[in-house]
Amino acid sequence: MWLAVLSTVADASAADADRFALQRMVRGDPDALAEVYDRHGRLLYSLALRIVGRQADAEDVLQEVFTQVWRQAGRYDTSRGTVAGWLVMLTRSRALDRLRRERGEAPAADVDWASIDVVDPGAAVDLRLVTAQQAARVRAALEALPEPQRVPLELGYYEGLSQSAIAARLGVPLGTIKTRMRQALLRLRDALAEDAS
Amino acid sequence: MSTASLDHDAVREQIPLYAVGALPPDERSVVETHLRGCAECAAELAAFAAVSGALAQIVPPHEPPAALRARVLGAATVIDRASTRRPIGAWAPWLAAAAMLFIAIGAGFYAAALRAEVRLLQAQLRVALDRVTDGERRVAVALRAAADAESPLAVLTAPDVRRIDLAGQPVAARASGRAFWSRTRGVVLTAANLPALPPGRTYQVWFVTSAAPVSIGLVKPDAAGSVRRLVDSRGDFPEPVAVAVTIEPDGGVPAPTGDKYLVGAAQ
Repeated sequence: MWLAVLSTVADASAADADRFALQRMVRGDPDALAEVYDRHGRLLYSLALRIVGRQADAEDVLQEVFTQVWRQAGRYDTSRGTVAGWLVMLTRSRALDRLRRERGEAPAADVDWASIDVVDPGAAVDLRLVTAQQAARVRAALEALPEPQRVPLELGYYEGLSQSAIAARLGVPLGTIKTRMRQALLRLRDALAEDAS
Repeated sequence: MSTASLDHDAVREQIPLYAVGALPPDERSVVETHLRGCAECAAELAAFAAVSGALAQIVPPHEPPAALRARVLGAATVIDRASTRRPIGAWAPWLAAAAMLFIAIGAGFYAAALRAEVRLLQAQLRVALDRVTDGERRVAVALRAAADAESPLAVLTAPDVRRIDLAGQPVAARASGRAFWSRTRGVVLTAANLPALPPGRTYQVWFVTSAAPVSIGLVKPDAAGSVRRLVDSRGDFPEPVAVAVTIEPDGGVPAPTGDKYLVGAAQ
């Protein structure tokens, strides 16, 4: 139990450190960017690699993400979510853009988290980074999903395929795909919301 | 049942897919429009945004290659934020002409002072000529210093200068203005056709930021309603989302209270 408390405290102070690092980036301090890389580079690289599949592409994605963070540090409103959450969403967007370019599709058929944040401060977007325990529950829930639900979700989330592309690939009607993805997400939400105690 | 609540039910059903970016663009914009006015759907989105975040964090962990750190950090920070953000563009020739004019006038004054000095030192012409040479060197030094110091020219010629056009608001429809902002050198405000101030009042300039508006300074227009001045050159302001000019009690206030006279959004 104390471990859980300690890890919550550590999460909170890391989030503060990220926010402070962002302010330092605005003032042009490159060490602040290095600090954020050291804290989150591993997670972001793992995510990029899961999506693009090739090490060289994952490296390019990380470079794009950190360049964007350096340039837009002053535009991210840190009261709206953690910096880490923003980094995760940027990484996923850039990685999916790359996949879509390879498939010859238009990029950004995705919720553009960064621009929602900049142009529409009214939208309630929660970009919290989840705790290790929550992540473990979501992973278990994902693995426990029946395959007809899990596969469309993974194709959509990690491959960036549109629902109609998923339907075509799996040979299932579009409406069925929508329903299954929704059911899968509802289960994951319940797993995430489960109280650990 | 109203169409609004029909919309609501349909949108609510779409929120999980929206949160993971799985909706086609047309359906996405329907959801976004509805979200602006519906707290319930916004709360629903928050729950599914957390799911989306969790999905990103449960991928198999991989250690990034050691060389990637230097590459990523080097590439990111080598880019000059200012120059990539806002090309100076079409008004660069105008700026260059203005800079030349300033330099010409400055050098002219300085040269006149030097000539007077030479007349005083006619008896020691050679020495005086040496001083002219020295003086010219000082002109160059002074001009360089001026460009780095507090002057409108320093702001206008800064490599990271941004122009924000200000439009007159209903209380001053004929007024217009421009703010030039450089992160490193300060802010220059020009305005025309501002209404004359009643006694005890001043105009106050604000940077509207993602947090609270920040006061940039107080300005009083001349008899013709014009303002042309360096407001501040501390150069450490937060990046403005917009610039506004309001009317306030003399001495200024910590947060805007009066009517807006000029407003302009930074792109």
